[in-house]
Amino acid sequence: MRIGIDVGGTHTDAVLLDGDDVVAATKALTTDDVSSGIIEALDVVLAQAGVAEASIEAVMLGTTQFTNAVVQRRELAEVAAIRVGLPSGDGLPPKTGWPDDIARSLGDHCYMLPGGYLYDGNPLAELRDADIDRVVVDIRRKKILAVSIASSFSPMNPEPELRIERHVRAAIPEARITLSHRLGRLGILERENAAMLNSALLDFADRVVSSFGKALRLRGLSCRFFISQNDGTLMDAEFVRNYPALTFASGPTNSLRGACRLTGLDDAIVVDIGGTTSDIGVLQDGFPRESNIVIEVGGIRTNFRMPDILAIGLGGGSLVTDEGRTIGPRSVGHRLVTEGLVFGGQTLTATDLVVAAGKASVGEASHVQAMDPAVVSTGLEQIVAMLDHAIEKMKPSSKPMPVVLVGGGAMLVTRKLKAASEMLCPEHSGVANAIGAAIAQVGGEIERLVSYRSQPRQEAIAALSREATANAVAAGADPKTIRIADVDETAVSYMAEGTVKLRVKAVGDIAGLGKTRKEDR
Amino acid sequence: MRLGVHDLPDLSLGAVFLATGGGGDPYVARLVAEKALQEFGPAEIIDPDDLADDAYVVTLGGVGAPTVSLELLPSVTDAGRTLAAFEAHVGRKVDAVVSFEIGGGNSLLPIVAAVERGIPVVNGDGMGRALPEAQMMTYPICGVRPTPAVARDYEGNIATFATSSIFTYERQIRSYAQASGGMITACEHPMTGRELKASIVPRTISFSIEIGRILREYRGNAHSIIEPLGEAFARSIYGQFRHLYTGKVVDVQSRIIGGYDIGAATIEAFDRNLPPLRVDIKNEYLVARMDDRVLASVPDLITILDYETSTPINAERLRYGQRVSVFGVGCPEHYRSPQALAVVAPRCFGFDFDYVPLEDLALPS
Repeated sequence: MRIGIDVGGTHTDAVLLDGDDVVAATKALTTDDVSSGIIEALDVVLAQAGVAEASIEAVMLGTTQFTNAVVQRRELAEVAAIRVGLPSGDGLPPKTGWPDDIARSLGDHCYMLPGGYLYDGNPLAELRDADIDRVVVDIRRKKILAVSIASSFSPMNPEPELRIERHVRAAIPEARITLSHRLGRLGILERENAAMLNSALLDFADRVVSSFGKALRLRGLSCRFFISQNDGTLMDAEFVRNYPALTFASGPTNSLRGACRLTGLDDAIVVDIGGTTSDIGVLQDGFPRESNIVIEVGGIRTNFRMPDILAIGLGGGSLVTDEGRTIGPRSVGHRLVTEGLVFGGQTLTATDLVVAAGKASVGEASHVQAMDPAVVSTGLEQIVAMLDHAIEKMKPSSKPMPVVLVGGGAMLVTRKLKAASEMLCPEHSGVANAIGAAIAQVGGEIERLVSYRSQPRQEAIAALSREATANAVAAGADPKTIRIADVDETAVSYMAEGTVKLRVKAVGDIAGLGKTRKEDR
Repeated sequence: MRLGVHDLPDLSLGAVFLATGGGGDPYVARLVAEKALQEFGPAEIIDPDDLADDAYVVTLGGVGAPTVSLELLPSVTDAGRTLAAFEAHVGRKVDAVVSFEIGGGNSLLPIVAAVERGIPVVNGDGMGRALPEAQMMTYPICGVRPTPAVARDYEGNIATFATSSIFTYERQIRSYAQASGGMITACEHPMTGRELKASIVPRTISFSIEIGRILREYRGNAHSIIEPLGEAFARSIYGQFRHLYTGKVVDVQSRIIGGYDIGAATIEAFDRNLPPLRVDIKNEYLVARMDDRVLASVPDLITILDYETSTPINAERLRYGQRVSVFGVGCPEHYRSPQALAVVAPRCFGFDFDYVPLEDLALPS
């Protein structure tokens, strides 16, 4: 049995799963210290399920703590950023293009050194020990402990980053170091940004992971503990102490993965209807379809993997205007429970329409009894038409697909959606995020620039698949369950024929889970 | 006209629109231009008509694989030092610089060199869009010789060229770029003010800023920008502006042949009331057709925008599942002469049909 927890800005949700079955679920408020909210949620699910702490094999946790820290510019340490790649990039030091406030938060400690590699494997410049040591001495003098290192084409040849790490480590044993090739793909500025943010968060990561761990121990849970990352896979919680940046934007991914498990569908459209927006995502082979645009975190470009989500301004709190012909995008949001008509307020919202039509019982139906039925039917039709239109844009093919409705606003859908082969509104959909965290797998990824001229395509894919698989096993995957989840090839133009940016992702179940069942007690 | 740091976001956004899928992400070039403008002040953008007939002008830009620049970053000094190396090679001062192509990052590099050297940039370029090879620029089409030319790599190594033909020059500089880390800066096509006025696609810098401003101000659903973009193109040197198609990318195939990203994207209408649209790619979007009926083809411009935000999407970022709108724009008249079509018509890219101007092709019903 396992427990999934989602620590959001407002709510801390928890679920207890026995195999695939949701045995208990709860929603608690997130507390300022985070851990007491977690303890409260754990108390509820353990009591509801009536199971002993010892039969919990693993806890999986999704959190927005690190994203929020970057967005709000808090808990960030000063970082010494070392870039290797001169003479290229001269005049474009680390933090170029950053918003001023967060650039200041990380201090003024940027270093650029000659070195690195070219696309064809030739050295870009010679990396000299004397240069490295000069930088290390300065970092030690400034007493900076968080360090990031990024080198040109390091995803293909990380040697310069590793070499500098050894020098820093030798001179400053307590330094916390992020190597860019461990975090990102090709694109040195974005990869370096990710490494710097990661280093800035390392101290905070220690406190957060310790606080999570303490909450589990206080509740008598000594099992393994994982934290979810943005591509829908899990990291060992101890790993997060070194890679907090990998948790950025794991929320939408967990929501989609939770919907997948709640319905048993690997391919579906997932519509998460909240108070203000509806977020539409696509599950393909059990994983969210990824977005391809440059992702900014707190105004900083990164190259993290994020799900492709289409958000439209339609939710339970959306304002209804124009005799029901216009719904949203303005919304009363979380004030729905005071401002909506059925709650005694003065604002006509999408929720009021559903109650007036007798399709849901929230608030006080008598407040909307006198509504013009034509406005109600026009409004309800408009809601479904908006979703039909948005889903049509996201749907991967012309064939109808299952549509999974999750979130508090799912009741807004009062007739069958056009694009849906079937519609599912599973039980526990309100805690889909926590379920998504609980059922997540572990993965490994690798990206290289390869030449199909010197290495045939199948051979190159096989070689990278082996590396991705090894990374997944290192992350805790059961080797027997590993499959290659994604192979992505991008041709590189103006280069020698057959030069391709090749990326392979492997995923598998967590090794050694699923031995306890509820009956074992 | 003065061009300052605050103009760069619009200029580079407009440059992605006019890049017709090619030219690479101008983000890094924009950072370089920002640094240069901050250090040296605004650039003087001079109208081609205001240039003296005997002025000495040279083109400047990057040659190579835009993808390589993601790792082999440009330096802020690359453009200025390449210009200095050119002047040393030819033994005379340059009066103004001008862009190879307005599409992508090459719209910005001449600005970087010019502010450092304190000389003006001519408002215009040699393509009015992006295209993959040197002989496709309007300068050589109008008879300007490519050499003497100077190329400089990231390390400061210099190569000089004196070639008999533009085709030889294109082959040689391309292989020099491949041997030098994949991306170099080049100064080429020296010419007089008189030659420039006869060959330049005029005022594309200011026009690119205008397109970028429209994309920013009308940011939103692609249908909402059809009208303002149409009005802007109607006032320009470009031909007709047309919405060709809106739908979802259902397939993207690409492979590298001879150094170029060759492929095709298939787009299906949201409601499938039209046959799918196929867009052929050779770095740029070259041909848009529906059931083998051509809707637009090179040298006319084909641009793909993200449907929700109207952000132009270049070919390397085009992916399965994206919601997009496809637009066609008639090219500047420069590309409709027999001499121009001899190097930029669809057959020059391996297609088996003749060029028909956009406005003479039927729209999808």
